[in-house]
Amino acid sequence: MAAMIERERRLAPMESWEIPRPKPWYQKLARLAADNPVGAVSFAIVVLFVAVGVFGASIAPYNPKELDASSQYLGPSGVHFFGTDKFGHDVFSRVLTGAQIDLKFGLVVMLVGFIPGVMLGVVSGYARGWADYVIQRSAEAWTAFPALFLLLTFVSAFGPGLKTVEIVVAISALFSGSRLLRAVALIEKQKEYVTSARSTGATETRLLLRHVVPNIMPFILVGFSSVFAVAVLLEATLSFLGLGVAPGTPSWGADLSFNADNQGTKYPFLVLFPGLAISLVVLAFNLLGDTLRDILDPRLRGSTGTRK
Amino acid sequence: MLRYTLRRLSFLPIILLAVSIITFVLLRVLPTEDFADVIGGINATQEQKDAIRDKYGLRAPVFPVTVSGQCERVVWYVPKCSLDGSVLEFHPHSQYGSWLIHALRGDFGTTFNNNADVRHEFVRRFPASFELVFLSLSFSVFFGISFGILSAMYRNTPLDYGVRIFAVLGTSIPEFFLLTLLIVIPSYLWNYAQPSGGYVPIYDDPMHNLRLFLPPALIVGVAGSSGLMRLVRTTMLEVLRSDYVRTARAKGLRGRTVILSHALRNASTPILTAVGTAFIAVFGGSLVAERILSIQGNGLFFFTSTLSRDLPVIQFLAVYTAAVVVIVNLVVDLSYAWADPRVKYS
Repeated sequence: MAAMIERERRLAPMESWEIPRPKPWYQKLARLAADNPVGAVSFAIVVLFVAVGVFGASIAPYNPKELDASSQYLGPSGVHFFGTDKFGHDVFSRVLTGAQIDLKFGLVVMLVGFIPGVMLGVVSGYARGWADYVIQRSAEAWTAFPALFLLLTFVSAFGPGLKTVEIVVAISALFSGSRLLRAVALIEKQKEYVTSARSTGATETRLLLRHVVPNIMPFILVGFSSVFAVAVLLEATLSFLGLGVAPGTPSWGADLSFNADNQGTKYPFLVLFPGLAISLVVLAFNLLGDTLRDILDPRLRGSTGTRK
Repeated sequence: MLRYTLRRLSFLPIILLAVSIITFVLLRVLPTEDFADVIGGINATQEQKDAIRDKYGLRAPVFPVTVSGQCERVVWYVPKCSLDGSVLEFHPHSQYGSWLIHALRGDFGTTFNNNADVRHEFVRRFPASFELVFLSLSFSVFFGISFGILSAMYRNTPLDYGVRIFAVLGTSIPEFFLLTLLIVIPSYLWNYAQPSGGYVPIYDDPMHNLRLFLPPALIVGVAGSSGLMRLVRTTMLEVLRSDYVRTARAKGLRGRTVILSHALRNASTPILTAVGTAFIAVFGGSLVAERILSIQGNGLFFFTSTLSRDLPVIQFLAVYTAAVVVIVNLVVDLSYAWADPRVKYS
């Protein structure tokens, strides 16, 4: 039925020879957002997260590290939106400031790990050879282990701290980026447009950069979003376990752990707010990745299970 | 199949050897900080530090082979060392050599912290870890497969939406947050304290044991099941579209038979792979659970040893984890043939 309608539409005579004027970008964007409400909301949360990460420390109503013995354990109110903790820190200000750590961490992991991994994956999937074999076997070995165990082993070698965590998560991102994009590049290089571009005399480098990479951009963006989610999650877990940020630094994971240990059972809101912040950001990145996958690559539609 | 299993198992010692060498490089060659500083504290004098090094055998060369002359470190690790003119030197009493000889006899040394036998400490903590991982994995597999199937069968119904929302929440909400809430919320609302610490075998006091293990296992398992759930759903959706499922329906088989013995069986290979992945997720997640509820298992053992740089423990647990990972992968590979007789090994 659908095919018939499609054929009739194609066979119907053109009613007007005017070329439709392209819609302005904001109309396209509004249409896209209306079609994907979940994606729009998650994108808004991601933008908010980035904004808070950049400006959070300056818009925070209180100094997140200032001790105030007179305002211990105040409940959420108009003065302290999220209440105050054992040291009288304003939890709202700490949550705002804490976004900075995660944003920085995520960006470092992306720059040092994921993007080189993507390049490695594309090149090794495209060129194959022994280097490809070595990269793939190492990626398999690395991902076979639980990330937390690898992190702990590295922590015992290099000492706790955000640097160590960054190294390990960046290596993980490197391998997951390379595995993801290698598989894509393997399929892509069989495609006809590659052959036809090659037949017009394009060099291999040009072929890769101008033809293959733009075509696999959707996969790169999807991978970017989901790897960012994992990075935020791992940073929070390690800071929660006390192996990440230095004590006292406003960080969602570390604050959650500190507040749980200090009267958490009496004041659950202290645990709730940092935890919700982490969950919301990770959720937004995951949903954004799913939506991007659906929009940018209809072939994959339905493969993630979050949209039809 | 037997030959395949034996061949795969023959790789195990090689992998474990490689893992042990890598951990030695990580723990004893690379570290930028001195272990004597970490163990002795910042105020330790030079003599005290030397005593610590002597006591733990940290003065001996790390690996049995070094190059004399320019190089104090292992030659094939440090690129600065040049090979020309230097002599290979063999050390009968290197750290790795003596560790390996003892390990082959089943002796993994004593802990730095309290001089206890590492293997004994491991065995003592094993039941708690095992029960937690076992229960979590059971929940994970049960929820992942059953709700994955239901979601595919009732596609685009409220049930399906519910499962999908649940799956995305499960991958997004950190386990440590849920586990902390497990302590905080019941205590705040109902004044119920989730028991923590201590291990009571299930045959001694079933009630206490289950109160200790069921809630965290449920959280770790259900959180770990979301990946499996998504995968089962997509695989089943593909299989349910296929011709043999339509044929099975057409010849009047019961819905349950079609789903369980026609569809699920044909979807088994990716599902079993995902069960293997879920095991690894649960294995990692149980460490967090042990830490938060102070369950005396090997995850917590690993964690505390990491903080105090208890090298023999970390080495042993790294090799143990590698063995678990390799064996789980082997079991997953072998189970393909059990679920799908068309699979042949070569």
